[in-house]
Amino acid sequence: MSSDRAVPAARAVENLAAKLRRRQVVGSREAALETVLVLRQVVAKARFTNIDQLVSLLREVGKRLAEAQPKEHTVGNVVRKVLHNIREEYNTATKGAPPARNVFSISKFVLQGQPRKQIIAPKSESTLSLREDDPDDPDSFAKGLKPVLMEAIQDVLDELETVYDNVSKTAKDHIHSDEIILTIGHSKTVEAFLKSAGHYRNYTVIVAETGPSYSGHEMATSLSNAGISTFLVPDSSIYAIMSRVNKVIIGAHAILANGGMFAITGSLLAATAARAHSTPVVVVTGQFKLTPAWNLYHEYGALDFADPSSVLGYEEGPLVDKVDVINPYYDYVGPELVDVFITNDGDHPPSSIYRLVKESYDDEDQHL
Amino acid sequence: MPPKSSAGKEKDLAAEEEVLQAVILADSFNKRFRPLTVGKPRCLLPICNATLLDWTFESLALAGVQEIFVICRSYADLVKKAIRESKWSRPSSGIKIVPIITAKETFSPGDAMRDIYTHGIITSDFVLVTGDLVSNIRIDEVVRVHKERRRTNKDAIMTMVVKESGFQHRTRSRGESGVFVLDPETSECLHYDSVVGYPPKTHAGIPREILAEHPEVEIRNDLIDCCIDVCSVEVPSLFQDNFDYADIRRDFVYGVLTSDLLIKNIHCYIAKEGYAARVADTRSYDAISKDILSRWTFPLVPDDNHPGGHAYEYLRGNKYIAKDNTVIMSRYVTARVGPNTLIGAHSSIADGASISGSVIGQRCKIGPGAVLKGAYIFDDTEIEAGALVENSIVGSGVRIGEGSTVRTGCLVADGVVLGKNARLARFDRVSRRRDLVDGESTDGEEDEEEWEMVEAHQDSVTSVLGEGSNAVVWPQSPSEDEDEEVDEVESYNNQRLMRIGDTASDLDLSDSGSVTEDESDSEDEDDASSIMNGFSRTSSMTSISLPDPSVSTIHNLQASAADSEFRSEVRQSLDRAFAEGHSVDNASVELKTLRMASNVPLRRVREAVVEAIVERIPIVEGDAAKQRVEITKIVARWGPLIDRIGGVDPVETVEVLANHCALSTRLPLFGQILVALYQADIVDEDDIRAWHASPSSEDEGIKPGPQREGLERCWNIGKMMIEQFDEQESDEESEESDGEEKVEKVERAPASKPEHKAESSEEESEGSEEESDEDEDEEEKVEEAPVTKPELKAVNSEEESEGSADEESEEGSGEEEESEEGSEESEEEAQVAKTAASTTKVTQTAPAPTSSTPAVATSIAPTALANTSSSTVSKTAAVAAPASKQAPVSVVASTAGTGSQRPAPSSASIAASALPAQAAVGAAAAAVPSGKSAAHDESEDEESEEESEEGSGSGSEEDSSEGGEATPAARHTGEDSSEEESE
Repeated sequence: MSSDRAVPAARAVENLAAKLRRRQVVGSREAALETVLVLRQVVAKARFTNIDQLVSLLREVGKRLAEAQPKEHTVGNVVRKVLHNIREEYNTATKGAPPARNVFSISKFVLQGQPRKQIIAPKSESTLSLREDDPDDPDSFAKGLKPVLMEAIQDVLDELETVYDNVSKTAKDHIHSDEIILTIGHSKTVEAFLKSAGHYRNYTVIVAETGPSYSGHEMATSLSNAGISTFLVPDSSIYAIMSRVNKVIIGAHAILANGGMFAITGSLLAATAARAHSTPVVVVTGQFKLTPAWNLYHEYGALDFADPSSVLGYEEGPLVDKVDVINPYYDYVGPELVDVFITNDGDHPPSSIYRLVKESYDDEDQHL
Repeated sequence: MPPKSSAGKEKDLAAEEEVLQAVILADSFNKRFRPLTVGKPRCLLPICNATLLDWTFESLALAGVQEIFVICRSYADLVKKAIRESKWSRPSSGIKIVPIITAKETFSPGDAMRDIYTHGIITSDFVLVTGDLVSNIRIDEVVRVHKERRRTNKDAIMTMVVKESGFQHRTRSRGESGVFVLDPETSECLHYDSVVGYPPKTHAGIPREILAEHPEVEIRNDLIDCCIDVCSVEVPSLFQDNFDYADIRRDFVYGVLTSDLLIKNIHCYIAKEGYAARVADTRSYDAISKDILSRWTFPLVPDDNHPGGHAYEYLRGNKYIAKDNTVIMSRYVTARVGPNTLIGAHSSIADGASISGSVIGQRCKIGPGAVLKGAYIFDDTEIEAGALVENSIVGSGVRIGEGSTVRTGCLVADGVVLGKNARLARFDRVSRRRDLVDGESTDGEEDEEEWEMVEAHQDSVTSVLGEGSNAVVWPQSPSEDEDEEVDEVESYNNQRLMRIGDTASDLDLSDSGSVTEDESDSEDEDDASSIMNGFSRTSSMTSISLPDPSVSTIHNLQASAADSEFRSEVRQSLDRAFAEGHSVDNASVELKTLRMASNVPLRRVREAVVEAIVERIPIVEGDAAKQRVEITKIVARWGPLIDRIGGVDPVETVEVLANHCALSTRLPLFGQILVALYQADIVDEDDIRAWHASPSSEDEGIKPGPQREGLERCWNIGKMMIEQFDEQESDEESEESDGEEKVEKVERAPASKPEHKAESSEEESEGSEEESDEDEDEEEKVEEAPVTKPELKAVNSEEESEGSADEESEEGSGEEEESEEGSEESEEEAQVAKTAASTTKVTQTAPAPTSSTPAVATSIAPTALANTSSSTVSKTAAVAAPASKQAPVSVVASTAGTGSQRPAPSSASIAASALPAQAAVGAAAAAVPSGKSAAHDESEDEESEEESEEGSGSGSEEDSSEGGEATPAARHTGEDSSEEESE
């Protein structure tokens, strides 16, 4: 790795790290997309003579980015996914046959539907004569492997770009006519899901305001513009109307390996109310949000506490001095409160999330 | 949060077009953090374990600034080193940081700005911040708004970022803030008045023109001035041009906004979102630390985007513990760590220690049983067992001995060692002895003095420093022999308001007119009864200062010292000009310079010039003709100077002249001087009329005495002159029809009886000289009147005379049919027709005696003026009179003593009592631009004629003569007596 070529890539990494740290890149999909683009740049510029060098380089970059903003779990997820794909491509290229473990894929096992995408598609069957650590031509390995690497990264990118479409493909199977759906916050995935169902079904959505961000307002406007009958209710009435709700559909910020998830504040309230009324809670999400992490100790800071100004105005001078306002951005919703995760790659119960995580990422990447 | 991301992308695009520059004034130019700043600059003090400079860089980096110039003065080497070693100078940071070292003689931000100008580093709009900024405001947004504004308005030179906070906010400086007068629509800053906490400021002056020009004005006293200014390239050069600008707010902003030479605009950006504040003093250090710990600065919080690059774990109760597991802390069982606490890496906290609301640096040791409450402890400090530290700042490398007590408000400088059982009194400042402050040579003799002071103070120290201490205690109160002029802001008592932990409850901060509420029972709340309290809770009102010097001193209090100096300067300068025969041009340049140097209103200059001219006229006893020649000579030579001092206001000139003559030995010359001015075209007929009509030309509000008598005489002379003007016109017309004459007279000089006029004109000796000018008016009249005058003369100042003459002749012609008896009604009509033209119309057709009593006037306009004395009414009228345009409106916070001046009480009082901040001056502002509207509101049930009269501050209608309201009894009696005389 000569430094001169790596400089622009390194700058891109620093740039993104700074943006993540300063919250200029926020939102799980946004962060994931930016990360893939940076990784692609890094791989394109990288010089390596064997796979280990490449992997360690990527891990380093990934570590840098993930540490810059530990609350954006998708950054780490995408890095893991890229590493996983790269290793697979490498294995395919060098050893020929793909490993057979995919046969036991849980998504095939549990669900009626097939996975929509063959991750291990036989793309580069061509028998590349890859020679690592070639002293005569140190670049030959990189040259030979780079096209397939780029393809592997492109796969991740494609997945991210098509995630809304893929998630909402099955929308009409989950939402039936004359149902009443409750949702909370303004999740793009949920929005796409509901709108897609709106093409086939005639149903009603109740949107909670979702304080203190009040993103529910946007959601309600967007849905009613799409011709879906929509009600906007205050958060306080979630429990009261839960008895009339057929389904709770919410988005997630990150899905943890135990089947729990981080989701916008208020999700826990809605999920708990739904549990009390035995209303099914459906989480729609892309698989890039699958995170090999747990919240066993209910790590307090993980909820990402934002500034109190949306709760207590800074201009309330005398109060500011006396009141400490806690404004968590996310709720932790435990696995017992979720009934099903609808992803871009099939529907899964919380109990099988661990398996999905294991399939998606390599074990050695759990800690970048 | 999602919306932010897109903004970030845009910013990058915008930044590519043009490099965004920023200038950091890394020097504080004051000593509020002494002795913590002995041996290091303030910007390297840590707040929440990152230096202030890092916080500032982070704030700027957030805004996409690419090039930063750091202006440093003291300890420049340390600043440079810190910059070099920080993460910001790594190439990957994308920011270019250039330290610039200014001369030691740079004593103010103004000097630094001049230095920036001479360096010539600024190429485009730039961001100017101080080196102690903590902010997450999107400055790039402000820059965008600024640039957009610049595209349409090249004079918008600066945008100040202010943050809404409520006037009692902990982060808002109590000792140093400002009142912003804003136009809510354009967010232009119309006026700025700095506020100091002690002595409490009760008045904020707002120039009248602002209220006249803007239908809606916001007067805000609830803004945190973040000292983030987006400046255009002109700003440094303006500093260069005005060598006396020192402070950016108090001098530059105030100067630019009040200057009538610089037509520049300054705007405000009121940040609704985000956080920004300056660590300007130890008090704000405390407040901002708390703000950071309670996450107001998010995402700039210790666990997320710590500018120092440290990683902290966020725990329940706003506790931040270094993440790398290096903090040695016994489990929470014995070491009690309370809320709002930050503990740096490698620190250890022993059993039984109790910590709350504190920041602990890296590698600190807190002994068993130590108690820290609101303590800010820098790196490498050791607090031994059983010590107590509360509300204090403790520097790095300090050792506080076993069982010591550091009470509220102490500042302990770096490297101090306090022995066992040391006791520091409240607000003690402690540093190492001078000989121990090694290496860092005390820079300059100023520091030398400081140290001597400190050493001299040691005998009177009451605090116990403990055995083996290396410390000296700094004196608290200002030394008595401090004779040098101390800046108001830096005065000791005002500084107390900026001191950490100081409630300053013993300072009398409420002004006399306010009632301090004692709703706060806890002791630390009493400090709230500060000036701001007084500011908000007292009803404030607009008091209109008359242009008369005795009253207008209200707004001139602070300038009085400068004023007297200015007067003597002007006198000398004019003496020189007269003696050496300078050209008028040169003399006027000199006067303008003087005026700007001493920052006095234009009126003072005018007074001084008029005075000089009048006093220069030699008195020739007994020979009127010779005297007249002398006067004409002087006026012809120097008269033009009056209009060359920076503004032309002939009405004021006459007024000033009258005021001066009233007390001068040259009183008898008043008439002749006025005539000479008239001839020299310095004043014309309308001006004399305007002056004559304005109540201030009379003795209103002046105590009986020589001045009042003098003024009365002047007024009478003026009256005679006006009568003469009228006489000449009526003479012309009388040639055509005798019947018209009387109507015309009544119209034009209503205050006087026709017979009286005829006689007075004969009495006046200079009547003949005025004829030529009178002819002009007559000629205009001729256009409408059937008969034409044969000779036409060249017309000077045509517009004015034309305007008035036209109107007059219109009326004249319109009322030709009217009989004399019917003139009363016709006048009413005429008044309606006229908007504000000739204010000289003090119609007095009705018998004078009834109108002259205030009681009658009061009964006529009961709604408007019910509880005001007649003098108040005249002041209301004065608002509209053009002569008083210059007088400022002052917003008076205390009701005491001004009650009687309340004009149009309900609408004009600026309702600062209800909302300290957003004194919705909509209504009030509307009231002030002209007394007219105020009167309108109040006297709805009056006839419209009456309103217009009140508006124009003159005339009357009906037998009660509303104009009489303006004219006090004295005037009427004066008239009456003159009438009698003439008869």
